[in-house]
Amino acid sequence: MRLFPRFLNGAGQLYVGLVLAFLYLPIFIMVLMSFNASPFYQLPIDWSAGWYTALAGNSQLIAATWNSVTIALTTTAIATLLGTAASLALYRYRFRGKKLLQALLFPPIAIPWLITGTAMLIFFFAVGIGRGLHAILLGHVALALPYVIVVVSARLQTFAPELEEAARSLGASQWQVTRRVTLPWIAPGVIAGALFAFAVSFDQFVVSYFLSTPGQTTLPVEIYAAIRKGFTPEINAVSTIIIVLSMTLMLLTARYFRFGGEK
Amino acid sequence: MTAAPPPGAQHSQLRPALPLLLPAYLWLTLAIFLPLSAMVFFSFMTDLPLADRSWAMTLGNYAAFFETDLYGRLLLRSLRLGLEVTLYCVLIGFPCAYVLAKVLKGRSREAIFLLVILPFWSNGLVRIFSWAIFLRGGGVIDSALNAVLPFEVSVDLMYSYPAVIIGLVHSYLPYMVLTCYLTLQAIDDSLIEAARSLGASRLTVLRRLIVPLAMPGLIAGAVLIFVPVVGSFMEPRILGGRSGTFYGTVIEDQFVAVFNWPLGAALSFILLAVVLAVLALAAPVLRRQT
Amino acid sequence: MRKMNLKHIVSAAALAGMVTAGAVQADELHVLNWKGYGTDEAWATAAFEAKTGHKVIHDYFNSEQEMLTKLRTNPGTYDVVMINAAFTGQAIDEALIQPIDVGKISNAAGLAPEMARSELLNAEGAAYGVPWVWGVTSVAVNDKAFDAPPSSVEVMWDAAHKGKVVLRDDALEAVQFAALASGQNINDIKDLDKVRDKLASLMPQIRTFWSSENDWNQMVAAGQIDVGTYWSGSASRAKTSFNLPVTFVIPKEGAIGWLDGLSIPAGAKNAEGAHAFIDFMIAPDFYVEWDQKVGAPVSANLEAVAGLDETAFNRAVLGDPAVAARIQFQKPVSDEDREKYLKLWQELKASSQ
Repeated sequence: MRLFPRFLNGAGQLYVGLVLAFLYLPIFIMVLMSFNASPFYQLPIDWSAGWYTALAGNSQLIAATWNSVTIALTTTAIATLLGTAASLALYRYRFRGKKLLQALLFPPIAIPWLITGTAMLIFFFAVGIGRGLHAILLGHVALALPYVIVVVSARLQTFAPELEEAARSLGASQWQVTRRVTLPWIAPGVIAGALFAFAVSFDQFVVSYFLSTPGQTTLPVEIYAAIRKGFTPEINAVSTIIIVLSMTLMLLTARYFRFGGEK
Repeated sequence: MTAAPPPGAQHSQLRPALPLLLPAYLWLTLAIFLPLSAMVFFSFMTDLPLADRSWAMTLGNYAAFFETDLYGRLLLRSLRLGLEVTLYCVLIGFPCAYVLAKVLKGRSREAIFLLVILPFWSNGLVRIFSWAIFLRGGGVIDSALNAVLPFEVSVDLMYSYPAVIIGLVHSYLPYMVLTCYLTLQAIDDSLIEAARSLGASRLTVLRRLIVPLAMPGLIAGAVLIFVPVVGSFMEPRILGGRSGTFYGTVIEDQFVAVFNWPLGAALSFILLAVVLAVLALAAPVLRRQT
Repeated sequence: MRKMNLKHIVSAAALAGMVTAGAVQADELHVLNWKGYGTDEAWATAAFEAKTGHKVIHDYFNSEQEMLTKLRTNPGTYDVVMINAAFTGQAIDEALIQPIDVGKISNAAGLAPEMARSELLNAEGAAYGVPWVWGVTSVAVNDKAFDAPPSSVEVMWDAAHKGKVVLRDDALEAVQFAALASGQNINDIKDLDKVRDKLASLMPQIRTFWSSENDWNQMVAAGQIDVGTYWSGSASRAKTSFNLPVTFVIPKEGAIGWLDGLSIPAGAKNAEGAHAFIDFMIAPDFYVEWDQKVGAPVSANLEAVAGLDETAFNRAVLGDPAVAARIQFQKPVSDEDREKYLKLWQELKASSQ
């Protein structure tokens, strides 16, 4: 028996379709405008593939895009690993100061990135970390960590601790318990955390902007620096390519892997 | 089944927790907490410690918040914005997560799970500018409606409070959908069946069973939306026009328009304190629901 | 704790910078400027590299405050920095830039004498900035909304254009513009209440506040605006490069003038290349090509301006002594005044919504 009668399923699917349409609306416009010859997004559209040709010759933008992809993937890997570990500790163990540790996750989210970025710039120089891709990575992982911890913790809340107890009483080691019992259950949370971590890093411009060195930038930095004079639809072109590639990758992933938490 | 506290002895279990906690928190300390403590220090100074400036310790930057009603008014406005955006995200996102978790099965569910987050792998500024093209007069809505309708209409939502709401809800909706999905998916279908067979109405099941069990996800989503929206300034500035001045704007100004980091830092920490206070006040109310 | 000041932090940083800077080659030239503002034109940097062998690498800033912060926290990173002359004095006081050997800059002979000698760019007999280009902030109109260009700033307050007026989101510029409109000296505003009233009555006219050239051009292209404040160089770019219907006006009340100079940061690793680059940037060849290809502000080099067509806006209009007399050049603004203006601007924005 289900909560809602079967005929409502169609309505539910339609609703999800509408939400997706809302989410993809600006993406659709972004793609359209990448084929518009007007640099000011004038309508009606004057069809042209000129921005793609321009992009092919813009080695700086392409290099920046690669930097972004590399940093975002590395950030995702590190933040997901460290964040999941911390979430497990916060869930599994009792100790003094736990509430404080949880509260400490908020400053990175609440303080506007401009202030955090300025603070990092000053501090990294004071202690000799300096600027560069390593500093950007350091900053990105830190900004992504709270998102991973909050999301994974939400999923852990649904986990029945008796399961861990049971496995332990059957002689499983702590690592076996984690790998065989806990991780499979929280997998959707870890995946969601990783997706957020990637998004936080890939779209992060303020902190990267302060920490990048001339000649070694990321894609959002290129965009942000161009905001005063204005950026051209080359940016739309590169974003379109990224979206198409990641969508293909994601649909393939969905085809071959199961991570939605189905038993 | 739900958020039962993990079993364990009364004594502190810090020792086994440390190896799991340390990497993440050391990283946060180096990259966030220490840099921000420098900002805390600045917020108590009259001026930055530069070669040609004299400075002293002061509470004046915090007092400045209360000397005029400007900051308080804008902070209230930002809190309202945060609450509204969070509310819309709940209203739109929760049902979507429910369908995703309980109605859709199989491959399509995994695919949609990923598709929800994908738009956020494009650049935030590019997305805002796309919204601008869509919302402005003579833009996409206008052109599309006029192509279909027999009479001339003019829709111009650009540079208004609703435009800011639309842009922000769009930016933060995936957080709500995915976090709610995480807890909704964990609810055992047999639990719902049992409740129904015992005669509980659909509304009762929703209110007494599903929402409480999904609460950790709802809370996580709400926090990840409310907290950053209160300090946002980019989306409001571009989409809001004359209605685009918020608390985040006046913080940004202290760093961009003038060189007053101490005041900017003080205003940020007041923001942080207020946000934490709001969350602390909301916590008991939300806990009662679970 | 008192001893631990930013200067120490910065010197520690400089030390750290030296350790990590091993990879930087001597023939690289690092330039800090707004993006898309002359120095980073690809054809220009290619020509400079071919001529001198210095490879030009750019870093950008999005506000003057950020430019100063980048100089403070990155000693030794940059070789040339573009500074609005109203901020050069502050950079000199903080020892962020070094004296320039004008003898090494052959094109300096053509510079307008009053700009080359400007007290904004010189201190204790040494030149800390070479005047590069100047321009004005004034009113620009969408040709489609006007039969003839207006002659007074009052057009911004004209009810006929209600909801089609834009103003830049910048406290200093807004206050100085209102000072101009209320007949005051922009560098010595006596009656701030008048400025406040003037701006308050402008608020209902405003469609939005622009922050980038791109904003302005997009809004004009979409027909959303009739009139607004704009920069002369940007207006000329909008016309030259993008064929937008934009006309720049110097109204009878006058306009706000600004001067941008090129400086060499203290500790620059390639000071020799920096001198060569500044020389290249003020040369007539570069300037004429920049203005014709892209659209530029007015060169501080008189010989460069003379190289333009006689009808070119930068030569015909801004070179007209009667127009020049109406331009009030921006002088440095004290932190105190800057904060006062910001407060006024924030109050106005917060209460107009």
